Amino acid sequence: MPLRLFQIDAFTDRPFAGNPAAVCLLDAPASEGWMQDVAAETAMPATAFVAPGDGSGADRSLRWFAGRTELALCGHGTLAASHVLLHEVGAASDEIRYATGAGTLTARSGEGGLIELGLPAHRPVAAPEAAAAAAAALWADGGAPAVETWRGFQDLLVAVPSVDDVLGLAVDAPAVTALGARCVIVTGPGDDGGRDTSRRPLPPAADFVSRVFASPGGLTEDSVTGSAHCLLGPFWAERLGRPVLQARQASARGGDLRVEVRGDRVLLAGRAVTVLRAELAVADPVSRGARP
Amino acid sequence: MSTRLFQVDAFTDRPFAGNPAAVCLLDGPADAAWMQAVAAENNLPETAFVVPPDADGTRGLRWFTPTVEVDLCGHATLATAHVLATEAGVTEESLAFATRSGVLTARVSAQGIEIDLPAIPCAPLTDEAQADAARAAVGARADAEVAVSGGWVLVVLDSTDAVRACVPDLVAVAAAAPFALIVTGPGGDAGDRGPDIVSRMFGPNAGIDEDPVTGAAHCILGPFWAERLGRPRLRAHQASARGGDLIVEVRGDRVALTGRAVTVLRADLLT
Repeated sequence: MPLRLFQIDAFTDRPFAGNPAAVCLLDAPASEGWMQDVAAETAMPATAFVAPGDGSGADRSLRWFAGRTELALCGHGTLAASHVLLHEVGAASDEIRYATGAGTLTARSGEGGLIELGLPAHRPVAAPEAAAAAAAALWADGGAPAVETWRGFQDLLVAVPSVDDVLGLAVDAPAVTALGARCVIVTGPGDDGGRDTSRRPLPPAADFVSRVFASPGGLTEDSVTGSAHCLLGPFWAERLGRPVLQARQASARGGDLRVEVRGDRVLLAGRAVTVLRAELAVADPVSRGARP
Repeated sequence: MSTRLFQVDAFTDRPFAGNPAAVCLLDGPADAAWMQAVAAENNLPETAFVVPPDADGTRGLRWFTPTVEVDLCGHATLATAHVLATEAGVTEESLAFATRSGVLTARVSAQGIEIDLPAIPCAPLTDEAQADAARAAVGARADAEVAVSGGWVLVVLDSTDAVRACVPDLVAVAAAAPFALIVTGPGGDAGDRGPDIVSRMFGPNAGIDEDPVTGAAHCILGPFWAERLGRPRLRAHQASARGGDLIVEVRGDRVALTGRAVTVLRADLLT
């Protein structure tokens, strides 16, 4: 039987927005080379491969590839995979535990089509030594605001005073790459009263906004980055003094997430839309001699 | 409502090689903004949209990259003919497409799919500074032949190995070739069964560092090598990482490109 593959827009409720991911449902673990081939062919920012659990207590195993590169953690790929399992193929339960390279992740079906992911919380650590280089790389026109820099996981978080500072970046791509982070996250408060909403309107409910730049294979701006919110959530929860926050990623496609910090976990809730339901017409990974 | 969409690897007989394209079978003309959004969402080099035939049997065909509609796309035309013949039950051997570049025809046979495109002549590049810049951009020898055709620059290398080993300086390529730079060389390394000509195409100004397989490049390469080798029909290999194979036949001011294609994905598009 052919393998099923879906294309999902994650962290949005409309097609052509959010962050797209392909989700491939496997009957058995596939070889890395085959997954790389498929992920390169889908040309998506991430392709998630979901296989049956390995008997260690997780319902499924989950891996993510961006082209030929395996990703350490991919929030939007996990949301997309969960949307497929919960809303497309009818998983047996409304909660899924995934075994991943980033540990056990969970997904739960919430109200009104929301899916809530349980991801690790990353605590921000002040990194003032990175501020000057980050300011020069992100506002190459010399218009840098006052920036604070923090590190967590493999990411660099750059906090600025206002939404306009986040929207008004002038990115020097090689210099941002040279900052040496998995993701460079620029973030500011969601409502500062005097922002210019004509450029990129934001829902008034956003407590904070962000933009995220990632480097593998040339610097690109991520559409919506779940994993960056594993650091953004704890950062803003501490700053704003409350655990539940509405987040907006202000990329061209744009996306919305609800973030809740709960101890050492971050609960990320969002919606997703199925764009494509497909069958892979190529030989399945088992007949290609795959080994678990 | 859903639309049938296929992902096809063109100019190859194996999946994950050749040049990928999506082919969308429409019931009728669609809104250009929607087609552009679908092409952006697919994120493939090209997405083709084809409508049912009119009374003359001609089908409307349009091609979109993730950012713009394009005037001509060989590999997505091949992919469209492949989908019609193998997935949509179309039994005609000859297919006509009404496109921005006029009527294009495709012929389906056991040897593959043949598409008919205009031959594009090239001429020696007389601007020595630009020729030197083109040679330097691909590490060619100072006496390497350089030709030009519109925004295309062609640098002729000594051998298949030299084409394969070429490491272009893409910044220099962008400066030396307004649209794209082709490196090409004679085949023959693999004996009788190997290709007659090999090539690679670098198009940083078109947003493509290296194109997997390029139909349009062979509209230039065909006439160039046919004259040089003294025969109209050539086996061509594009030596990109994915790699692709085609037969190029020059017929007066037309070029017939024959290649195979493989369906990778069969999908319903839900938007």
